[in-house]
Amino acid sequence: MTTQPHEKTLEIRQLNATLPNGMRLLRDVSLTLEPGEVRALVGESGAGKSMIGRAVLGILPSAVVHSSGDILLEGQSLNALRPKTRRSTVAKMSALIPQDPLTALNPVRKIGPQITDPLVRIHRWSRDRALKRALELLERVHIRNPERVINSYPHELSGGMRQRILIAAAFAPSPRLIVADEPTTALDVTVQKQILQLIRELQRETGTAVLFVTHDMGVVAKISQKVTVLFAGRVLEDAPTEAIFNDATHPYTRGLIAATPTPNATAEPFRPVPQDLIAQLQRDTQAEDMRFYQGGRK
Amino acid sequence: MLLKNVLVRLITTAITLFGVAVVVFVLVRVAPGNPIAMMLPPGATSEDIANLSALYGFDKSIFEQFVIWLGGVLRGDFGTSITLRQPVAELVLGRLPATLELSTMALFIALGLGGTVAVIGARKRDTATEVGLDLTSGAVLSIPDFLWGLIFVLLFGVLWPILSISGRIDPRIEFDFTTNFYIFEGLIRGRFDVVMSTLSHMLMPAMSLALPLAAMIAQLLKQNLKEVLNQDYTTLARVRGFSETSVILREALRNAALPTLALVGVQFTFLIGGTVIVERLFAFEGLGNMAIDAVINRDLPLIQGIVLLFAALFTVINLLVDLSYTLLNPRLRHG
Repeated sequence: MTTQPHEKTLEIRQLNATLPNGMRLLRDVSLTLEPGEVRALVGESGAGKSMIGRAVLGILPSAVVHSSGDILLEGQSLNALRPKTRRSTVAKMSALIPQDPLTALNPVRKIGPQITDPLVRIHRWSRDRALKRALELLERVHIRNPERVINSYPHELSGGMRQRILIAAAFAPSPRLIVADEPTTALDVTVQKQILQLIRELQRETGTAVLFVTHDMGVVAKISQKVTVLFAGRVLEDAPTEAIFNDATHPYTRGLIAATPTPNATAEPFRPVPQDLIAQLQRDTQAEDMRFYQGGRK
Repeated sequence: MLLKNVLVRLITTAITLFGVAVVVFVLVRVAPGNPIAMMLPPGATSEDIANLSALYGFDKSIFEQFVIWLGGVLRGDFGTSITLRQPVAELVLGRLPATLELSTMALFIALGLGGTVAVIGARKRDTATEVGLDLTSGAVLSIPDFLWGLIFVLLFGVLWPILSISGRIDPRIEFDFTTNFYIFEGLIRGRFDVVMSTLSHMLMPAMSLALPLAAMIAQLLKQNLKEVLNQDYTTLARVRGFSETSVILREALRNAALPTLALVGVQFTFLIGGTVIVERLFAFEGLGNMAIDAVINRDLPLIQGIVLLFAALFTVINLLVDLSYTLLNPRLRHG
C-alpha cells in the first residue's frame, strides 16, 4: 500500500449504528483524522466512543445493524469494498491497541508468533523480516530480553508487559491509523503513566494517526490534539484540545472537565456532571429518536 | 515433582485395580448360576459336582479363593479359562489388539467427524446451518451404538452390500500374523489387501461406536468455540485481517479443545464399554465378544481377567488424557 499521502487518514461521514430493538448506538457521527494527529473520543459509558473505533475496524458486535454512513481510510470508501477486500484493506492500514492486555493475548500461543503471524500472513513479509521487526519493537517498548520474551507464554508476563507487547504488535506493521481503546483502563495507576508516555512517543516517531478512546479528561489533555465529546452516540462537541479545556462551548463538556480530579485541588469537593444537565440531554435524545422513527416510517 | 506425581499415580492405579478385582471376584461368586453346573451333563450326581468343585477350588471360602488367585496374579498367572482350557492371560492379551484397533479407529472417526461439524457450526453460528447441525447431532446422539450397528448392517450389509458384516478379516486371506494388530502389521509389512479387508470389516462397528461420541464432541466443542470466539484475542486476530475460518483454526480451536478433551476422556471409556455389544453384533473377535461368552458360560477366571484388563485400560486412558492436557495448555507445564 504505497498510496499518495492523503489529506485525511480517516474520515467518518454520518455514521449510524442501531440495535435490532431500535436502540441507536451512533447518531450521525462525523469526524476526521489528519495524518499524525491524535484525536480523543470522550464520553461516559455507553456514549458510543468504543463503537466508533469498532466500526472503523469492522468489529462491531454482530447484533448491530449498520444503518447508514460511510468510513473512508485515506480517501478509500470502505462501503465500496466487498467484505473480504474490506477486511484486508482495514487490516493493512490500521491496528488496535486493546483495552485489557490480560485477555487480548492468546493464552496457549507464544508471544513471538502472536506478533509476527499477521506480518507474515497478512502483510506478506518474510519470516526473518517479521522476527527482526518484532524484536526491534519489543526493545523499543522497553522489554528487557526480547529474545526470551518471544518464546514466553502470556501467563509468564505481567499486565504492563503484555500491554507493551500489544503496543509493539500494533505499531509493527507501520499502520496509518491506530485505534487505542482505553488502553490504560485495565492497568495499575503507576503503569498507566508509562504506557501513555510510550504510546505518545511511538506515535510521534512514526507519525501514525491515533483514535484514542477514553473517559479520562486528564489523559485527553496529555495525549490529544483534537477532542470529540460524545453523549448517547451523538457528537456534542468537536474541537482542538486546547480550545476544549480553555473555552468549551457545550455545558456537558465543561461539566466533564470540572468533574476531573486534579492533584492540586484536593481541597475541592468532587463535582460530578450536574444531574439536570444529563436529564436534559437524555430528553433531547429521546425527542430526536421520536423524530427519527416518525420520519423513517413514512 | 514429576517423580512424585508419577508415584502417586501408580499407587492410586494399584488401589483402583485392587478394588476392581475384589468387587468382580466377589460379585461373580455370589451371583446365581455356577460354572460347575454348566460343565456337567444333566443328571450328574451331587458327588460329581462336589468333586469337580474341589478340583477348581470352588469348595474353599471366597476369601481363600481370592488369596490364591491374587497370589497367582502377582506372579503373572491369571488362572486358566474353564471353558477354553487355556491360560487367561494368553487369551485376553490375544484379543486385546482387536478391541484396541477398533476403539482407536472409532475414537479417531469421532474426533474427526465431531471436530469438523463443530468447526462448521462455529463458522456458521447464528444461522440456519448451525440449527440444522444441532438438530442432526441431537438426533444422532439419541440413537445408541448397537442400534447404529443394526442400521449400518441393513444399509451397507443388506441393501447395498459393500462392507463386510461379520468377523475381523476375510478368512480367505493368507497371512501369518506375528501380532494381533492386523492393520498395524499389515501396514508395516506392506500387505495392503490385509489392511483393506480389516478396514472393511471394522468400518461399520467403528462407525457405530463413533457416531454418538462424534455428536457429543460436535455439540460441546462448538459451544466452547463460540465462547472462545467472543474473547478479546480472537477479536484482535480479526482486526489483524485473519478470516473467520483462520481465527477458528489458529486461535480458538486449541483453547476450545481443553474442556472437550475432558469429556472425550470420560466418553472414550464408555465407548470401550460399548465394544462389548457392538463386537457381538458384528461377530468381531475382540475382548468384548469374549466377555459375553465368558459371562454366559460362567467362566469365572476369564471374566475376572477381562474385567481387570478393561479397568487397567481405563486408567491408562485417563493418564493419556491428563498428559495431553499439559501438552495443549502451557499454563499447566510448570510445577
